[in-house]
Amino acid sequence: MLSRTADNLYWLARYVERAEYLARVLEATLRLTALPVAYVGSTNEWETAVATAGCRNAFFARYSEANEENVTEFLAFSADNPSSIRNCIEIARHNARAVRTALTTETWETINGAWLELKRFGNGPTVREEFLRFLHWVQETSLRFDGSAYRTMLRNDAYWFSRLGLYVERADNTARILDVKYHMLLPDDEHVGGPLDYYQWAAILRTVSALTAYHWVYRESLKPWLIADLLILNPQMPRSLASCYENLVRFCDSIANVYGRQGPAQRQARTVRTRLQNSRMEEIFQTGLHEFIGEFVADNNALGAAVSSQYLM
Amino acid sequence: MRICVAHETVYRYDAPSSGVIQTLRLTPRNHTGQYVVNWRIDVSADCRLEQQEDAFGNTIHAFSANGPISELRLMVEGEVETQDTAGVVRGAVERFPPSLFLRETALTHADEAILSYAARFGRPVAADTLATLHNLLERVHEDMAFETEPAAASATAAEAFAARRGAVRDLTHIFIAIARAAGVPARYVCGYLHRSDGVADQDHGHAWAEAHVPDLGWVGFDPANGFCVTDHHIRVAIGLDALGAARVRGAHYGGGHEALSVKLQVTQASWQTQG
Repeated sequence: MLSRTADNLYWLARYVERAEYLARVLEATLRLTALPVAYVGSTNEWETAVATAGCRNAFFARYSEANEENVTEFLAFSADNPSSIRNCIEIARHNARAVRTALTTETWETINGAWLELKRFGNGPTVREEFLRFLHWVQETSLRFDGSAYRTMLRNDAYWFSRLGLYVERADNTARILDVKYHMLLPDDEHVGGPLDYYQWAAILRTVSALTAYHWVYRESLKPWLIADLLILNPQMPRSLASCYENLVRFCDSIANVYGRQGPAQRQARTVRTRLQNSRMEEIFQTGLHEFIGEFVADNNALGAAVSSQYLM
Repeated sequence: MRICVAHETVYRYDAPSSGVIQTLRLTPRNHTGQYVVNWRIDVSADCRLEQQEDAFGNTIHAFSANGPISELRLMVEGEVETQDTAGVVRGAVERFPPSLFLRETALTHADEAILSYAARFGRPVAADTLATLHNLLERVHEDMAFETEPAAASATAAEAFAARRGAVRDLTHIFIAIARAAGVPARYVCGYLHRSDGVADQDHGHAWAEAHVPDLGWVGFDPANGFCVTDHHIRVAIGLDALGAARVRGAHYGGGHEALSVKLQVTQASWQTQG
């Protein structure tokens, strides 16, 4: 397979995943800000949303204040923000078109259809309900893309490269939420979990669609350290770091098996997975959750770079 | 290096045994220099293998099977990819501080003879630890005669030291006993060795010691071969001594005498190039 083709497939999946993540962040933030201030505290949730999306600097270069109007515009529809939902879908479609022959009809139609439909939303709905419909539509597009790839694509390098993109992005997203909200997850015996924290924790879980999963796994009310455990170490949870790395190792290995050679990407994926497998939550809290996440984000970026230099150029 | 392991252990009972209960430490874990590509354990009896983790972080499988059992077959097969890290073990599961591994056990008890032998190595300060351990490795490898079969199954470090000879397990015990006497935490490692002379069929698995060097971490020393651990070693389980890291511990009800036979094949699968 040409590096260029692999590159397009990889980024196609990354951008679709990113669009979905942004839609989830925006939805969770809308929910949170709809609550009375007494419940959620006086923090500016819109600013947090920008930070979770990883574009705080770009945002404040353009706007002086983070409020609903500015942030939704910037994260969802802005043409100037390279990773707004609109740009994500446009770039994904651009990538898909370049490798049209490597995709199945179903996958192509999902992404092309989404791109066509995006025009219908124009420069963004003005009514909140309409905006919520838009966010749901983005999430559905991602589900359809993922499902059509899963159900129709041949299990060869084309499929594996697109999965690598998806899981690198997903791991990065989960880690970024944790990075922004880690201070709410630190175990604190003195702390009585008031409604303030309850809604914040629920928002974190909702952003990774894990609220129901949480209750299945722990059968307890929301406890911050259990949330951290679920999102970092639990391999059953499809958006946890451990699960992302299980898949990354698997797909890196599949590529290595077919090509008959392996390199830094495989080693990096395995190293990170080993660290996740061998860690325990108490140890992570002891050495510092923030440091752990920071290190993970760096490692995940290193994997992205290794995949790029090994296969994509 | 990609190493394939096929390890079969067969227990035969004089009269059919009415029940067997065993704990298996036969599953390697990942660390920086080691990656388990695939690994499976088959037990010939009908039972449920329950995976757990012991106090040291070793993966263990426990099972109990009801008889009559006249023959029990444990088959372990897998593929592991290793990298040479110059003997340093990083990224492994550490459940205890290193000082725990200064603890003496019956098998690694240092008697007068060992203590006077250990005295020549002194009590190394932090910076000298590694050099001292290399010196110790060399001395043990040269002074003790290596035999493939142990003199007695339950020989202690002191007994083997008095005879100045022993099998893999005995030399490792001697190394550990001396290291601990010199104030260096040391532990026993059970595993597999891919032989560089190309002999694939082996009679039993391999074992070596790990000692803790300040600022460097745990370093593997293989007293039977007289060198540090390389990418030919697959690390499976650790313990304070051979009993603690034993591959199989168990008991059986009835059945009289049990006969054990082991078939082990460690080969290299070299179809993948490292890029």
